[in-house]
Amino acid sequence: MSDLLDQSPGIEPLREQRLGPLFWICVGWLTLNVLGAIFANVLPLVNPLYQNYIVINAGPSLHHLFGTDDLGRDILSRVVFGSRVSLAVGSGAMLIGFGIGMPLGMLAAYRRGRLDSILTAVMYVLLAFPAIIAVIAVISFWTPRTLVKIIVVIGLASVPLVYRVIRSATLAVATKDYVTAAKVQGSTDRRILFRELLPNIAPIAVSFLLIGVATVVTLEGALAFLGLSVNPPTPSWGNMINESRTVMAQNPWLVIFPSLALCLFLLCLNFIGDRLRSYFDVTEVKL
Amino acid sequence: MSDERQPLLKVRDLTVTFGKGAHAVSAVAGVSFDIYEGETLGLVGESGCGKSTTGKALMKIVAPSSGTVELDGVDITHQRGRALRQARTRMQMIFQDPISSLNPRRRVRGIVAEPLDAWKTVTGEQRDRLVDELLNQVGIDPEVYGDRYARQFSGGQCQRISIARALAMRPQLLICDEVVSALDVSVQAQILNLLEDLKAEYGLTLLFIAHDLAVVKNISDRVAVMYLGRIGEIGPSEVLYEAPAHPYTKFLLGASLEADPDSAPTGAVLEGEPPSPLDPPSGCRFRSRCPYATERCAREEPVLTEVAPGHQVACHFPFIAQ
Amino acid sequence: MSERLLEVTDLRTTFRTVTGAVPAVGGVSFDLHGNETLGIVGESGSGKTVLARTIMGLQPRTNVEVTGSVLLNGHQVVGASERTMRTMWATEVAMVFQDPMTSLNPVMRIGRQIDETLRVRLGMDRHAARARAIELLTMVGIPSAQSRYRAYPTELSGGMRQRVVIATALACSPKLIIADEPTTGLDVTIQAQILNLLDSLKEQLSMSVILITHDLGVVATRATRIIVMYAGQIVEMGDTRDVFFHHRMPYTRALLDSSPKVTNAPHTRLAVIPGRPPNLSTPQPGCAFAPRCAYATERCHVEAPTLVDASAPGHRFACWNPLPETSDREAR
Repeated sequence: MSDLLDQSPGIEPLREQRLGPLFWICVGWLTLNVLGAIFANVLPLVNPLYQNYIVINAGPSLHHLFGTDDLGRDILSRVVFGSRVSLAVGSGAMLIGFGIGMPLGMLAAYRRGRLDSILTAVMYVLLAFPAIIAVIAVISFWTPRTLVKIIVVIGLASVPLVYRVIRSATLAVATKDYVTAAKVQGSTDRRILFRELLPNIAPIAVSFLLIGVATVVTLEGALAFLGLSVNPPTPSWGNMINESRTVMAQNPWLVIFPSLALCLFLLCLNFIGDRLRSYFDVTEVKL
Repeated sequence: MSDERQPLLKVRDLTVTFGKGAHAVSAVAGVSFDIYEGETLGLVGESGCGKSTTGKALMKIVAPSSGTVELDGVDITHQRGRALRQARTRMQMIFQDPISSLNPRRRVRGIVAEPLDAWKTVTGEQRDRLVDELLNQVGIDPEVYGDRYARQFSGGQCQRISIARALAMRPQLLICDEVVSALDVSVQAQILNLLEDLKAEYGLTLLFIAHDLAVVKNISDRVAVMYLGRIGEIGPSEVLYEAPAHPYTKFLLGASLEADPDSAPTGAVLEGEPPSPLDPPSGCRFRSRCPYATERCAREEPVLTEVAPGHQVACHFPFIAQ
Repeated sequence: MSERLLEVTDLRTTFRTVTGAVPAVGGVSFDLHGNETLGIVGESGSGKTVLARTIMGLQPRTNVEVTGSVLLNGHQVVGASERTMRTMWATEVAMVFQDPMTSLNPVMRIGRQIDETLRVRLGMDRHAARARAIELLTMVGIPSAQSRYRAYPTELSGGMRQRVVIATALACSPKLIIADEPTTGLDVTIQAQILNLLDSLKEQLSMSVILITHDLGVVATRATRIIVMYAGQIVEMGDTRDVFFHHRMPYTRALLDSSPKVTNAPHTRLAVIPGRPPNLSTPQPGCAFAPRCAYATERCHVEAPTLVDASAPGHRFACWNPLPETSDREAR
C-alpha cells in the first residue's frame, strides 16, 4: 500500500489563537468577585448592617475605603456582601434555565418530529409573553419575597430563551454527516447526544450562559431598584443604587461604587463570553 | 452466472416519499435490485434522481414508505431499536462531505473507536490495537496522527478516517455515497485504490453511488442507472458502457467528457432538464426528454425486462444489438 | 485576428495572513489572442481561481499584494483603481462564476439583473434594455425568454441559472469571458449543454474565453491552448494536443493518468500521485511538485525550474527531468 501515503507534506497545524491578556484580566476580576462573595464572612470587613452614626455619608478614607452611606454603614462591606445576592441570582437562575432548557432544546432538535413541534410551539408562546412583566408580577404577589423565590421565577422565565438558543445550535450540528454516521454505526441516542452533539454546542452554550448571567444580574438590579428584590437591610447592588437616589447630591460615592461593581462585572462576563465563542469557533479557526 | 449466488442485499419496490398530499415527492419510486456477495454495484444518475436517497433508505437514515430491504435473507425494513442498530452495523455508509463526516471536536482514535465503544465488542488493549490497525490500513499513521483532532485533516485524509470507522465493525456491505466527488483528481485515485484494496482484504460488498460515470466504471462490476426515482437500466458495467440499451444511458455516456482531445466533441446532447419529481411525466419518466418517445411511452410505464443475461432495461424501445 | 487581447507578465498575487505571506500566484506569464479558448487546469490550491480574480482586478486592496503586469486590451489592470476597473468590467472582460446562485441576486428578477448593466453601462432606455435582455436570454437558450424575464433566480434550475449568468456576462459584449469552473456543480448532461453554449457564443461573438477547471475532460475538446498550474505556478503550457499527448512535465502526466476513464475496464488500478497538493503558506525551495514526483532528483528539491521551450512552438514546461519527447500518441 505504498501508494496510500497521503501524509508526506504534513498536516498544517492549527492557527495559534490566543485568548489575550484582557481575557485573563476579566477572568481574574470575576474570580475575585466570586471569592469575595463566598468568603465575605471571613474577610476583615465591617458588618454591612452595622450603623455607625458618627460617620454618616463620609467619603472614602483609610477607615472606610469606599466611604459610608446615610446610615453610616460601610459601603465596601455592603458592595462585597451585595455581590452575594447578584451572583446567587445570576448563577442560580441560569442553573435552572439551562437545567431545563438545554436538555429540552437538544432533545427537540435531535429527535425532531412531534416532540419538537409541540415543545417549540409552547416555548414560542411563552416567549411572546413579556418575561420581565411576568417576573415582576409574580414576584410582587408571591410574598414574602425570598432569594430562592426570585431565583426560581427568573430561572423559569429564562427557560424558553435557553431552549431556543440551544435548539437552533443543536439543529445545525444534528444535520451533520458525523451524527448520521454515529447513528449508522449503531450508537445509542444517549451516546450521540453526549459524545457528538454536546461537545459541539458547548461553546455556544457557555458563551450564552455567561451573557445570560449578565442579563439576570441586570434584571435583579432592576427588580431591586423597583424594591422587588431581597428585603432591606440585606444589601444587593441593585437596592444599594436604589437607596442612593435620595442622597445622591450629598454622597455620590454611594451610587458610584455599587454601579461600578455592577458595570465591571457585566463587562467582564460579556467580554469573556464573546472571546470564548470566537476562540471555540472551529470554522473561524480553519482558514 | 450471478444467478447462482444468493444476493446479500435484496431490495424490492423501495419507495421513499417526502411530504404529504399535493406536495408529496417520490424521491425513490419503486426501485428493485440485488447486490451479490463480493461484488460492487455502481449506482449512477444525475442530481435529484434519488440515488443518494436510495442509499440512505437502505440504511434507514430516511424511512422508506414502502418496499422491503432484505440483508442476508433477513427483512430489516421493519426493524426498530436495538435490532435495527444491530442490523446497521452489518451495513456501513461513507458520505460525500469528508469534513462534515467527522466530529471536529473528537480525536482520530476516538472517532474510529466509536462503533467499538458503542457496542463494547472489544475493550481495553485489544480495542486500542484494533483501532491502530484500522488506521494503518487506511494509510493514516496512528502514532503520528492518532491523537489529532479531526478538523486538522485534509479532505482525502478525512475520507480515509471515515473508511476506517466504517470498517471497525467489520460490515458486510459498504455503501459509498459520492465518496470521491469532493476530492482532487490525484487524491480521488488514492481513495478509489484504497477501497479496492480493502474490499479484497475484508471481503466487502460495495454499493457505489456516484454521478461520475468514469469513476463508477472503474470500480463497479455491475451498474444501475437511475432517472427520476426509477432504475432505467442495470447490467454488467462492460456491457452497459459498450452497448447501452436505454436511450438515457446512451445520452449520459455521450455527455460525459473524456480527457482526450481526439474524442468526438459531444454529439447528440440531451435537450432540456429533468422534470420536477413533484410532477413526473406519465408513463415512462424519461419520455419528456427522449427523442425516441412515442405515444405508447406516455401511456404505458415500461418495466425492467431482461434483454441479455443480467442486463435489464426499462424501455419500450431499447437499443438491442441483434 | 491574432492581436494580443491579454498579456500577463510575471504576475504575483500574495496574501498577507496572520501566519505569513501566501504566494497564491507566484510569477505567471502568458498571452491570450483574440477568439481563442484558453484552458487553465489545476487542482485545488493551484492558484487558478486567484489568477482569474487577479486578471479581473477583483482582488481586495487590503492584505493582498499584486505585482507584475496584466495588460487587457492595452489597459493595465494591476494597480488600477476600482473606478478604472469599472470602465473595463462588462465591456472588456466579464466573469462567470462557479456557483450561479451566489452570482445572481436572489431577490431581483433575472431580467432586471441584465437590464441594469445595459442601462448603466450602455445608457440604453428601459424599452431598448428590455428588448436586448430578452434577446440575450434567447441567445443563451432560455426557453420562452419573454416570460422568464420576470422570473426570480430561485425559480430556475442550476443549468438555467448558469445560462442567465452567461447572459449577464454577455450584456455589454465583452472581448473576454473568464469562466471559473462554470459547470462544476452541474449534471453531466447539463454540463455538456453549457459548454456547447459557451463554444458557440465564442464563435458567434468572436470573443475569447478563459476556461478554468480541475477537470481535464472539460478542456480537452474545447480549448485551443492549455495551461497546467501547480502551487501557483505554470508548470506546462501549450497547444491542447501538445499538452495531452506530448507533455514533458511529470505532473501533467500524473494528472492525466490518475483520472478514471470511461474506457477503462472495471477494477482498473489507477495511477496515483502520492501525497497531496502543497501548503503554500510554508513554501519550500525547489520545484513545488518534487515531494510527490517519481522523477525528482536532488536538484529538484533545491532549485526551482523555470519554463523552457519544448520542440513544438508555444509548448513550454518547467522541469529539470522532463519526460522524453514523444512523437505520436502511442508513445504515451
